[in-house]
Amino acid sequence: MQVGEFSREVLQFLAESLVPLAVLVFGLIVGFLVGRFARRLMVAIGLRRAVEGTTFERSAQRLGTSTVGLIATLVTLFIYLAAIAGALELAGVFETRLSLVGFTDFLPQVFVAVFVVIVGLVVGDKAEVATRERLRSVRLTDVNLLPLLVKYSVYYVAALIALAELGLSIGALLVLLGGYLFAVVVLGGLALRDVLAAVSAGIYLLLTQPYGIGDEIEIDGKRGIVQEVDVFVTRFESDDEEFIVPNHLVFRGGVVRYR
Amino acid sequence: MSALGEMVEEITDGVDAVFLFSPTASHYEGFEEEDGPPTVVVATENSVDAERFVELPLAFRDLRERIRFGIEGGIDRGFIEESATVVCAASLFDDGIDTVTQVSAGEFTRSGVYDLFVDSRADAAVIRDVLDVTIELGKKGQKGKQVGALFVVGDAGKVMNKSRSLSYNPFEKSHVHVGDPIVNVMLKEFSRLDGAFVISDSGKIVSAYRYLEPSAEGTDIPKGLGARHMAAAAITRDTNAIAIVLSESDGLVRAFSGGELILELDPEEY
Repeated sequence: MQVGEFSREVLQFLAESLVPLAVLVFGLIVGFLVGRFARRLMVAIGLRRAVEGTTFERSAQRLGTSTVGLIATLVTLFIYLAAIAGALELAGVFETRLSLVGFTDFLPQVFVAVFVVIVGLVVGDKAEVATRERLRSVRLTDVNLLPLLVKYSVYYVAALIALAELGLSIGALLVLLGGYLFAVVVLGGLALRDVLAAVSAGIYLLLTQPYGIGDEIEIDGKRGIVQEVDVFVTRFESDDEEFIVPNHLVFRGGVVRYR
Repeated sequence: MSALGEMVEEITDGVDAVFLFSPTASHYEGFEEEDGPPTVVVATENSVDAERFVELPLAFRDLRERIRFGIEGGIDRGFIEESATVVCAASLFDDGIDTVTQVSAGEFTRSGVYDLFVDSRADAAVIRDVLDVTIELGKKGQKGKQVGALFVVGDAGKVMNKSRSLSYNPFEKSHVHVGDPIVNVMLKEFSRLDGAFVISDSGKIVSAYRYLEPSAEGTDIPKGLGARHMAAAAITRDTNAIAIVLSESDGLVRAFSGGELILELDPEEY
């Protein structure tokens, strides 16, 4: 009798645990496959090259992995966790189902938040490099502030999104962001009005080159030979005088070119 | 041994300044702690945080050039008088300091090699970059073949007005500056073209293919140099530019300023 009861119990236990077990195994396999697929996909769309040289990639590589590997691992881990949670729930291991339900609901948000942080770090770094390169191509390498500003702005926005995803209250941070943007736009615009005007005119002058080095020109009644045109100013000189004229004045007053 | 000690003492006695060429930090500190004549450090970078420092634009292999540059820099920056007698400690063979020599700054004819870099219209960094690319070009040649080249640096507006184009300017409407590695490759490729490169004060490459038309009257350069050097010397006399020439025949790099030959380097030594 006792043996029969025991075997029935075992059978029942097996039957009950078979479904969760199947879910677990299935989840693990799917997780593994999706992880591999995600890695292949990211390599195929050239993500590896896109993130090359960013700080995040470098720190990831110092830890013996890479951005691609990290994201793939994250995806795998997420599915594993979901499978384990689902299996445990089906098996009824936890008494209070509520906590588990909360946990499984919370999991996607955590995943998205982590993903957003990674993307934010990479994009911020990339934006910094791109800004720096662009400034270098117009010979403005000394402006170190701008790329950093761009980078931390992206970081900040990424952090905001991640926190919002986690459901934390970000009202104060949003106000801060608004104030910061306002300060950048208005105060920056006020303080750098002339510089910005000169730069935008200078970029046009550099791109189209209506006059070049060696041309004889007249700006504001000053006549001379162009020695240098950069983003901010045009330098030209007559026999005994050297003029340095902000580029927006070139626009305002026009240029006479002597042939 | 005492005779040798006496000899060294004779060299180092009663000097107005000590010039240390690329000293180690401990060397420099030893000199600074002592209450001796003022110490001037001459090196490519101020790694010992010396108070009196003359920056070498390139590590002159020839000790005489190095000393000449250091002393002219020292006079120019007011570290020493023009009549001063100085002792130079430098390395002749290896990395460490192994040579002590006494130089009388007054008897030294000023070649203007310091002014070439520091007091030219163009930035010193630009001149150094052009010199670097010229030396590299002289060392390797273009595809293994010895080439010549002429770079006119600074005062580009005037140079452009004293020259004419031989063909289309490949650098027209471009924003390339010397010193970028990719541009250096470009310059080397274009060195097969005839004519001069014109480079502005800030290092922008204004034009290639320029035929220089300065008035060469009264330009005096060492005999045996050809038309390229003559044109280089003459354009620097006519404008405030300097010219850096790579000779096709003897492979030497020469720099001209004010119509005079200022500097002569053998690229193979760098």
